Amino acid sequence: MKDAVLTELGARLVAGSLTDDSLLELTAAPADVRILPDANVVKVGGQSFIDRGRAAVFPLIDEIVRNLPSHQMIIGAGAGTRARHAYSVGIDLGLPTGVLSVLGTFVSMQNARMLHYLLARHGIPFIEPAQFAQLPLYLAERRAAIFFGMPPYTFWQQNPAVGRIPPHRTDTGAYLVSEVFGCRSMIYVKDEDGLHTRDPKKDRDAKRIPRVTVAELEAMDLPDLVVERAVLDFMRTATHRRTIQVINGLVPGTLTRALNGEAVGTVITAD
Amino acid sequence: MTESSDSADARHHLVSVLMRESLVDRDLQARTEAPVFRMLPDCHVVKIGGRSILDAGRDVTLPVVDVLGRALDSYKLILGTGGGVRSRHVLSIGADLGMPVGVLAQLTMADSLGTAHMLGALLAPRGVVAIPPEMFGHLLPLFMKAAPGVIFNGVPPYSLWEHPPDLGRIPPHRTDAGCFLLAECFGCASVTLVKDVDGLHAEDPKENPSAEFIREIDTAALRKRRLGSLPFDRVLLDLLDRARLVRKFQVINGRRPERLLAALNGEHVGTIVHAAS
Repeated sequence: MKDAVLTELGARLVAGSLTDDSLLELTAAPADVRILPDANVVKVGGQSFIDRGRAAVFPLIDEIVRNLPSHQMIIGAGAGTRARHAYSVGIDLGLPTGVLSVLGTFVSMQNARMLHYLLARHGIPFIEPAQFAQLPLYLAERRAAIFFGMPPYTFWQQNPAVGRIPPHRTDTGAYLVSEVFGCRSMIYVKDEDGLHTRDPKKDRDAKRIPRVTVAELEAMDLPDLVVERAVLDFMRTATHRRTIQVINGLVPGTLTRALNGEAVGTVITAD
Repeated sequence: MTESSDSADARHHLVSVLMRESLVDRDLQARTEAPVFRMLPDCHVVKIGGRSILDAGRDVTLPVVDVLGRALDSYKLILGTGGGVRSRHVLSIGADLGMPVGVLAQLTMADSLGTAHMLGALLAPRGVVAIPPEMFGHLLPLFMKAAPGVIFNGVPPYSLWEHPPDLGRIPPHRTDAGCFLLAECFGCASVTLVKDVDGLHAEDPKENPSAEFIREIDTAALRKRRLGSLPFDRVLLDLLDRARLVRKFQVINGRRPERLLAALNGEHVGTIVHAAS
């Protein structure tokens, strides 16, 4: 007997197992809606950028303001050196990854608040995860909003395979915002011209990689990366966010060019 | 306590072992491996199935509630609930409307919260109620001192930040995963998933009643068997392998509710899944 209240997918889901691959495949059939296709997600690095203070941050704030007429921006804040301090104290005390995740959230919250106050006179709000329902209004009215980059996993943050540091931090949180809303771009503002073959802060012979796929990056098996590894993992299965760009925000005009769609740092693509 | 710029580095650092380092560096990550403190070692996490128990109505649910009431005399319980049929329904409508996985995850939180409140109403005479998700994690140790148990909606707070799944659009971190992650973070004594089957079978026992019963297995052996369906969130296998404090969980049949008391007592009455050694 067919139950007219349930769609075909509904009937399968109500009766079936959510671990059944054939049923999971069905759920991908309807095309995803792009919820905020005109917005760009811009993540401002913590250790790499905000911790440099006024010299780095003020010119970037000016550049963000200049771009408001032409680009909507959802701006995420990284954590940085205070998170590293809190993680190191927490690890020494034996605290689990979920508690470290809470500590990291507090630091990215501080950085988001500071960015917020610097942009406040332009009417740009800071929103916490519970306020994301207002994000479309803020983008339509004020062209930008600030959020803390940490995903709100708190005590439910997963353990890393190795060590104790939360594997899903502010790069990942910003990435997932860009993916879930089907945004126009994902730009990471850091203090290097992108990804290098070695850590350029430690090795002067490090070479910049202008464009690379996730698979190529994995084949290189670099000991260090410019974005969290989880971002690369998610890019493989993501629906919308198939490219990200890492740029050097210390160079004036770079953010503007990236917002305009130019490749000015390292572009990482899913395929 | 601070070290500001040296000649090569214009950034300002706080002195710590992680100072100036990339947290993405593998060697650095390995150096942070250390023993973990157990915050709530005497509490047991029990997940009560949505579709398998609550949605099956009073004949199935009330005996489980009765056993939970008795268990609360001896054990501190953190109860999670599943969203059941209503979650399946909202997933089907949401997916049809093109909602991304993060939105679907956000939507399902409400269903299991409803289930949590139903269970909370039935356990109210025991002082056990559903706690609002916003305050649940941070106040959990306080609640566990003040009451014999608490109920939460089982859903991890991933919401819009849910991970893109390998296949399809169903949020991979559902209520089994939320209960497990909570137990791992708080270092709880055990994780028991209460379903409507005896445990893990080689095939769905509802379709093949003579399917082989798997009494005990580790994640490596389980992956190798490539079973078409599991009676728990598949992501639990990954979470278990990365767990430091909770290295196993047990799936038991809530239609035989007395097994819950045995499971809390450490007895093997369903299927025990271990982390790969």
